[in-house]
Amino acid sequence: MTGLLTTSVGSFPKPEYLLRARTKASKGELSEEGLRALEEKATAEWIHFQEEIGIDIPVDGEQYRGDMATYFAENIDGTEISGLVRSYGNRYYKKPIIVDELRRKGPISVDWFKFAQARTKRPLKGMITGPYTMMDWSFDEFYGSREEACLAFAKLLHQEALSLEAAGAKIVQVDEPALSTRFDELPLLVKAVGTVTKGLRAKTILHTCYGNYNEIFEFFNKLPVDQLDLEMSNSGLDLLDRFKREPLKKEIAFGVVDVHSHVIEPESLIRERIEKALTIFEPEKLYIDPDCGLKTRSVEEAQAKLRNMVAAARAVREAHRLT
Amino acid sequence: MVRTTVVGNYPRVGDTFEEQSLRRAIARFDKGEISAAELGDAEREVVKVVLREQNEGGIDLVTDGQISWYDSQSHIARRLASVEINGLARYFDTNTYYRQPVVHGAIAWKEPILVDEWKFAQANSKAPVKAVLTGPLTLASLALDKHYRKKKPLALDAANALGEEVSGLVRAGATHIQIDEPILTRHPEDLPLAVEGLERIRTRKGAAALTLFTYFGEVSKIFEELVETPADAIGLDLVQGAATWSAIAKHGSKKPLVLGLVDARNTKREDPAEVAKKVLSLKDRIDLKASFLSPSNGLEFLPRERAREKLRIVSAAARKVGVAS
Repeated sequence: MTGLLTTSVGSFPKPEYLLRARTKASKGELSEEGLRALEEKATAEWIHFQEEIGIDIPVDGEQYRGDMATYFAENIDGTEISGLVRSYGNRYYKKPIIVDELRRKGPISVDWFKFAQARTKRPLKGMITGPYTMMDWSFDEFYGSREEACLAFAKLLHQEALSLEAAGAKIVQVDEPALSTRFDELPLLVKAVGTVTKGLRAKTILHTCYGNYNEIFEFFNKLPVDQLDLEMSNSGLDLLDRFKREPLKKEIAFGVVDVHSHVIEPESLIRERIEKALTIFEPEKLYIDPDCGLKTRSVEEAQAKLRNMVAAARAVREAHRLT
Repeated sequence: MVRTTVVGNYPRVGDTFEEQSLRRAIARFDKGEISAAELGDAEREVVKVVLREQNEGGIDLVTDGQISWYDSQSHIARRLASVEINGLARYFDTNTYYRQPVVHGAIAWKEPILVDEWKFAQANSKAPVKAVLTGPLTLASLALDKHYRKKKPLALDAANALGEEVSGLVRAGATHIQIDEPILTRHPEDLPLAVEGLERIRTRKGAAALTLFTYFGEVSKIFEELVETPADAIGLDLVQGAATWSAIAKHGSKKPLVLGLVDARNTKREDPAEVAKKVLSLKDRIDLKASFLSPSNGLEFLPRERAREKLRIVSAAARKVGVAS
């Protein structure tokens, strides 16, 4: 029996040289091609790193993205990008503005998927920013209805999912960090994600984070995907008891390292977390990953966390004689 | 005739180099390159600009834009006794975060929180500056309580502490005090506790006008009780809380209202004539002369240039009301 496959949620930190290049490019001091070359270099380095430590299901690391919603919006007709708004503290970001009917200009993330997949034999995840999050994180000057805007995103993101599948993606992940924003809109989220994943042959994953999971728990089995990817270590693993009482009928990717903390969790702690998860979930349905994207950590912190995570998963596999 | 106001916060940075002075100053402060006093200077420069933009936008009753606030909760809570500030938590249904206050013991007022900020703003504004405080119920609801284990005693101690602060603001000359209780849009059943807290603040406000503001949703089910609370005016988000509109139309209000009719969470520009029409439809239900027109909540969720436009939409709509009434 196999099990405890390791993976990542999506983003990795950008190396210093890429951060400097992005600043230069934003001032017009570096060409688009110049920036692209460095984004490719960083992506190739992250693929190499994941191969080296033996992650089973790699990701492209999103070195080419600024904000996850804005990156998608920039490649969708009917949107503009706003001026800066505050996220918290001294952090600011630009939001999409829907100004016209939403249409996909062409493939959004497929080129990067191909670039990264060509550098590894392991199955790379295709990554889509989900329709509910795209809607919730955009200003809307066109539809005037959250449902309409959300379903318009869903329709074009379904095209994107099909393109990723056609490019060879065996796994497609839909990111919905905004999932638990408004509980009364969960039925809309289910409908929209279902529109994106409809008819896909690829394995589908829904990732969410920062959630009040207890409030949304009853929706977990209704989500139209094969696997849920949840932040578990940051919520103190307290959801496990609830999963014991109300079993999940899907695969789970179980976050075992906190992406908001500088602390590098030791292998022994991660092993304990995996062992706890194994008391609830079948190993072949249990995937091991960080809580969320690691982009806010330093490259060194992210790599140390991933190394310990892979080593811990390997040790638990050996202890349980899983291959 | 209807006057104009804003709800509280305002974008601290814009998209030009000059408009990002505070962003740079905070980054330099974090690296230890400038002192807290220099950071304070940078904040006050932005407050002056924000006051000027509200003045140019035609706002009658302004705020300091809460430019020095890290967020709506920790700015107040961190100066109260027995509170520490913890990690990030999501702020309502906005894609923004606040540092969560952790309550370790009995909450009490220990030092002035907003008085110096208010004095500076008023000294630099022709228009009266409204002092805005996060309400005791909202503070109690969004904090992590490790001491009281019950919301009521926590909220009431917070109310006493805020009352002390209000008393200091009034002594410094503030004539308009606003208490924000957005949590009432999520937990209308907590209104009696909000009222009890507000009563404690009211006894400290002297002759100042006290406004209770709710936003991020509707309050139609508690509207009748809300207008009976011990505040002089009630502020309402009538965009995300559009459902409150029918309650106003049905019951009216003897108390002046602050009508948050201009969407502070979406960039779409309203037609001032349409906004004015809505306001005028209430002319037999509320005292428009004593009421205000405003954005639906703080303008910080918008890019700076769009926030400026929203101010102009508010004042253009108010002028149209003035001409028609």
